Amino acid sequence: MSTQDGRVELLQGTLDLLILRTLLRGKEHGHAIAKAIERNSEEVLQVEQGSLYPALHRLLKRGWISAEEGVSENNRRANYYSLTAKGRKQLDVETAKWDRLARAIARILRPA
Amino acid sequence: MNRYLKNLDREIRDHIERETLANIERGMSPEDARAAALRAFGNITSVTEQTREVWILRWLEQLWQDVRYGIRMLLRNPGFTAVVVLTLALGIGMNTAVFSVVNAVLLRPIGYPHPDRLVWLGDYDTFLKRDLVRTSDFLAWREEAQSFSAMAAYGRQQTAIATARGATNVNGIVVGGDFWAITGARPALGRLFRPEEQNAIVLAWDLFEREFSSDARMIGQTVMLDGRAAIITGVLPKNFRLEFPRWWIVSERQPVEAYLPLVTSNRERLLGGVQVVGTLKPGLGTRQGLAELEVLEKPLLNLRPSRDRANLHVEALQEQLAGNARPALLVLFAAGVFVLMIATVNIMNLLLARATARRKEIAIRASVGAGRARVIRQFLTESLVMALLGGAAGLALARGAIALLIRISPNAAPRLEETSIDGWVLAFTIAISAGAGVVFGVGPAIALWRSNLHGALKESARTSAGASGLRVRRLLVAGELALAIVLLTGAGLMLKSFWLMNTHPPGFSPESVLLVKVRPRFTTKEAQTAYLNQLIERVESAPQVDAAGISMWVAFSGVPAFPIDSTPGQTHTVRLNFVSPGFLKAMRATLVKGRPLTDTDLPNMILLNESFSREAFGAADPVGHELRLNQTFTIAGVVSDVKYSKLDAAPPPEAYLPFRQLPMLPGLAIDLAVRTEGDPLAVATGIRKLISEIDPSQPVYGVTTLDRALSDSIAPRRFNLFVFGTFAVTALLLALIGIYGVIAYSIAQRTHEIGIRMALGAQRTEVVGMIARDGMIIALAGMVIGFAAAAGLTRLMASLLYDVKPADPTTFAAVAAALAVAALVACWGTALKAALVDPMVALRTE
Repeated sequence: MSTQDGRVELLQGTLDLLILRTLLRGKEHGHAIAKAIERNSEEVLQVEQGSLYPALHRLLKRGWISAEEGVSENNRRANYYSLTAKGRKQLDVETAKWDRLARAIARILRPA
Repeated sequence: MNRYLKNLDREIRDHIERETLANIERGMSPEDARAAALRAFGNITSVTEQTREVWILRWLEQLWQDVRYGIRMLLRNPGFTAVVVLTLALGIGMNTAVFSVVNAVLLRPIGYPHPDRLVWLGDYDTFLKRDLVRTSDFLAWREEAQSFSAMAAYGRQQTAIATARGATNVNGIVVGGDFWAITGARPALGRLFRPEEQNAIVLAWDLFEREFSSDARMIGQTVMLDGRAAIITGVLPKNFRLEFPRWWIVSERQPVEAYLPLVTSNRERLLGGVQVVGTLKPGLGTRQGLAELEVLEKPLLNLRPSRDRANLHVEALQEQLAGNARPALLVLFAAGVFVLMIATVNIMNLLLARATARRKEIAIRASVGAGRARVIRQFLTESLVMALLGGAAGLALARGAIALLIRISPNAAPRLEETSIDGWVLAFTIAISAGAGVVFGVGPAIALWRSNLHGALKESARTSAGASGLRVRRLLVAGELALAIVLLTGAGLMLKSFWLMNTHPPGFSPESVLLVKVRPRFTTKEAQTAYLNQLIERVESAPQVDAAGISMWVAFSGVPAFPIDSTPGQTHTVRLNFVSPGFLKAMRATLVKGRPLTDTDLPNMILLNESFSREAFGAADPVGHELRLNQTFTIAGVVSDVKYSKLDAAPPPEAYLPFRQLPMLPGLAIDLAVRTEGDPLAVATGIRKLISEIDPSQPVYGVTTLDRALSDSIAPRRFNLFVFGTFAVTALLLALIGIYGVIAYSIAQRTHEIGIRMALGAQRTEVVGMIARDGMIIALAGMVIGFAAAAGLTRLMASLLYDVKPADPTTFAAVAAALAVAALVACWGTALKAALVDPMVALRTE
């Protein structure tokens, strides 16, 4: 985990969680997902934007998200990704897992 | 390709464009904006790769899942699986066996250097019906032809080697020219003789081991060959084999045991014949080779009598070697493909029936989210697993079949004994297995594709589900039967040919004639005649001998004959056979006209056989007429034709001369024929002993029965009949199983209906009739198509037939009758089962 001008590279697997979290608000295309992740983390977490695509397809394969063709704001065709019911459930599981992990790390770093 | 991946490239391009635009909005110059976007995205190629990998792994996972599921399904129905695998093993095994023969005989290159440039130089002798080149011509060609980088001659040469145990007859060949260079032979011991060394011998390893106990000190020693001294210059390695065509292989199946130099120093020998092979110079074709030979041959022909027209031809050696075997093997291969088609259709039928039964299972899988394509892929995977299992079993079967074929007729085709399962055969087996698997997997898959899966869930098992499926299956079975009929008709024609070949005049009984070869070598004609007289006398008076005599025909070629006052000016070619009276008696050649030859006849009396009499004199009586050969003879009588040397050809025109007219024999073989009472082989030892008592230095060999010798003369035909017949019988069985299966299935489907009919008063006989009629309609349709196809296709096998027309009506009728009976039995047998149904039980059937 390297730090470079204050930004943190993503932990493997965390990206999946962030994508699911982003899609909770509704369907999005790839570029918008990448931008949303950057924005929501106040540009601290940096996604190498390309790595988004293998992750998206991994999620498609597991059936957690689905893809459909749609027309974007500037009237262009684009793939829109959205959460499936299975994905919504998975997001809860993953979030809970992440919270537990974050709490555990926090306890280790700042013992009460 | 996966539908998600289809747009990946466009999606990535779009992404970068959006990022570029966003950067421009933030105030970057267009160039910087694009560069920054690309930087932010990372390596496009590797992103694409990684994304694809996500799915490839998934595809493999699914395949593995399908295979596991398929194997579970197959194990759940072991009986069904066994039937499918065995049927396939039969079809694939037979095809693999035939293909490996085709591979060894037609496809595999000759194991000598430059196999692609090796050619056969032939001069066809119309009387002998084979190629023969004069030694003198060969020497001239080799000297002068520019198209060839090497040329070699070889020919059959029986010889006797004097060993510690007495004279041993050896299957040798003479070799000349660049024989060693063309074959790439290297000695295992010693060296190979040069063409000009005329008194030398090179031993094959087997002979060296057998007769000289592998004693290396024999190299360089002198041995006596037919009374002539020769030096053993070397021994060939164990794995060296002669891969050139040997026309004599039919009667002498043993491998070559010794190599002798082609004698070129003797004028008489130069007139003899050899077989010639050559290596073309790189870049030249057979046509250039032939053109040059024709030019060279012109002046040579002028030196010869007018009859000696050249029938020169040059061919790839591989082609010459395959020779007559090619059409036969192609026919057999086609027959094998038919059997495989029948087997595949049978399995497709079974799977179609099962697909109907499995509709519920599939509907359930589809309703829990399996896509239609996924289900169909599952079906195909199952079929492929079965097909590959069948292929593996077929391979094992083929191994056994090949061993059997080689054992029963090693000489049916050249190089047949080299048949083995190599990489090509393996690839072929895998390919046909997979092909069959796809074919019989696709049928049920299509049926599924078109079927309404939701309906399947609601349908009760009682409904006559798949009525349209049954129609398809009836058609398939009719097709199967048609294929089987083509094969059966072919086999019938071959069987009839075989039977005609083996038809002899009554009393001929070749099984009680013993054949022995002797090769007397004497320095004076008196000694030779005395020896032969003594030989005939002793053998004739031996116990259990009914008749015995000798025969010697000049194997070189036919002799021109001029019947002086019958067809003036016309030349006939005749085989001259020097015989003792006992020979004709032993062969049961009966006198048709005139009188037989006696020991006291004048030396100019001659007998003709009927073929020659007919050819030269037509219907006229030739007795008393004169016939000019090298001298003028008077015809004493005519004897009946006897096929005593070749079963699948008409007896050649022949003239018989008293054996006392025999010239000095330069070590040529004399046939001794002995008709015995009882088993001739039981008498053989006694005869052999008796001959060696007369003169132990004269080798006796080639002991066999006439029956065996004749049967060997048609070894390729026997082989073809055996293979083809096996195919035909298998095809018939599979087709009958197919009919049985379809009828049994339709009965199972209609049990309920049958119950109702019987409850309403239908008689059992009516039910049987109804079901059987159903089957007979299929059979009839199959027979009509089959015989139409057979009438067209049997023409392709004309070269495999003897004396039988490809459209022989008797054979067609016999096959039709046999098939009708078989189909009736299959139909009525199954239908009877339906009639035994208890209506009460049938009605309750769910």
